[in-house]
Amino acid sequence: MIYDISVTFRTEYRLLQGKTNSMEKILSVKNLTKKFKRVVVNNISFDVEKGNVYGLLGPNGSGKSTTFGMLLSTINPTSGEWYWFGKKGTDPDTLKKIGAIIEQPNFYPYLSAETNLKIVAEIKGTSYQRIEEVLKTVHLYERRKDTFRTFSLGMKQRLAIASAMLNNPEVLILDEPTNGLDPEGIIQIRDIITNIAKQGITIIIASHLLDEIEKICSHVIVLKEGNSIYSGRVDEMTADNGYFELKADNNTLLLSALNELQWFAVVNQDGEIIKAQIRDDASVSASALNQKLAEKGIFLSHLTRKKQSLETQFLELVKNTK
Amino acid sequence: MNKLLKLEYYKNLNYKPFRVFTLLYFVILTALLFIGLIDFDLFGGTINLKQQGIYNFPEIWNFTTWIVGLLKIFLGLIIVFSICQEFNDRMFKQNIIDGLSREEFIGSKLLTIGIFTIISTLIVFAITLFLGYQYSTVTSSDRVFEEIFFIGNYFVKLFTFFCFLMFLSVLLRKSVFVFLAVFIFWIVEGVLSTAEVFMKVKGMQGAQRNEILQNDFFVSHLLPLESMSSLIPNPMMRLNMAKMMGLKYEFHYPTESLIACLAWCAVFILGSYWILKKRDW
Repeated sequence: MIYDISVTFRTEYRLLQGKTNSMEKILSVKNLTKKFKRVVVNNISFDVEKGNVYGLLGPNGSGKSTTFGMLLSTINPTSGEWYWFGKKGTDPDTLKKIGAIIEQPNFYPYLSAETNLKIVAEIKGTSYQRIEEVLKTVHLYERRKDTFRTFSLGMKQRLAIASAMLNNPEVLILDEPTNGLDPEGIIQIRDIITNIAKQGITIIIASHLLDEIEKICSHVIVLKEGNSIYSGRVDEMTADNGYFELKADNNTLLLSALNELQWFAVVNQDGEIIKAQIRDDASVSASALNQKLAEKGIFLSHLTRKKQSLETQFLELVKNTK
Repeated sequence: MNKLLKLEYYKNLNYKPFRVFTLLYFVILTALLFIGLIDFDLFGGTINLKQQGIYNFPEIWNFTTWIVGLLKIFLGLIIVFSICQEFNDRMFKQNIIDGLSREEFIGSKLLTIGIFTIISTLIVFAITLFLGYQYSTVTSSDRVFEEIFFIGNYFVKLFTFFCFLMFLSVLLRKSVFVFLAVFIFWIVEGVLSTAEVFMKVKGMQGAQRNEILQNDFFVSHLLPLESMSSLIPNPMMRLNMAKMMGLKYEFHYPTESLIACLAWCAVFILGSYWILKKRDW
């Protein structure tokens, strides 16, 4: 179900992007560095363009939260600079155009959801009318009078999203938005995020969960020990043609037939399944392969074309930069 | 200003313990002002503070402000808890991310402190005036307002004390540590001023020694807690009992303490701001 949503979302989002074709920069980060006792963020640079969904990807402790902290003015950078909407640094007025959720939902535990949002509305200078609207979006309107401390983690996280959306932000920053949630909570949060992305709001999302990034993001910045090791489109992360998974009644025959064809770099057997890695210079479709094999008298009981998962790509990337 | 007021209203007045303790403070404050009407059993005899002259103009201003001045720690507790809570729940960080500036944060806390101090001062002023007209042996207007400056001093004393607590709360972020720090401050100041007095009067006797104690300038009087307490000196020497025993009461307006207090306020406010700015949250 999640997958379906994200597929439609991606298509729609690309249409949207094609239509506007804007290259307006929301955020531009240049040589940002933070040293505590050791270097936590090392000289990273990246740009965020309007309407895209960016993933900040990296294992725990790779500097994601510190980077967000600096961009949100809660952490003082050691060196480097950044521009929000073309304006240097982060002042309170800029922050009012940004919706951000950091680490975990922070609200006054003894206040009701509604009062907590009133405080945020006061700070951001928004009217209280939006409160009802955002509470309904995250399905918490019925619980608005309950104190924050009575909420489950999933509800807390949804309230945090409501709070971030209060001022109709131009950018949404999410730090590990599904961390610690149960599967249902994860689905709810992802649905909400996909809906927000459909509205054309730029999103920067940090996560160490690769499938999450893969499902939501169009662009990715990969951090490793404070260094940015990749910044660009998700689908350009590795130049990779993908591979076929095949199975026939007679796998030995299939194996030798595949080896005869000049299309594959590696062919190997993995249990019942044969995996054939397509060569970088070759271009072959599943139907063409099926036809070719049928001509040789081999009938397949299984054939799928797969791309390397982001996880494999990511691991490869991290491995290569060691 | 309106925005900051609303923020503090939502944050504090919806918090039950805050409401309860604030109410309690003002009730105790009012009750304490009427203390002179009660008879105390002391050393076998009864002492009635009213008969000792605490409700006489102009001393009454000194007595009432000094007595309720002891209650400032109660209100201080509430303020410390309220500010430390912002840091414990990571709400300061969230407020900043939502777009509150550090100046506004400090401003909102000063607003709360200011409002508390003003209300407390007004209550003390109104009740003192009432008690004075009710029980004072003299009520001619020049006597009534002769020492009214104690009300102003009371305001400065409370405000400085709360600025001090705000600074420590921002610095230490945990209420327990704030109280420990106040305690340590209190002891250190006590030791320092005793040491200074000891150094100055070493080897002196009698009149010469009193002369120094009365008129000499003591640097330790400029320390925060010391300067706050010098704003309203202990009025026990002004009791009828003390007068009968022949103790002489001399009072100099503590100008240097007033200036010191105002300077400390500035230091604490700017210091809090500097910490909020420089620290990583």
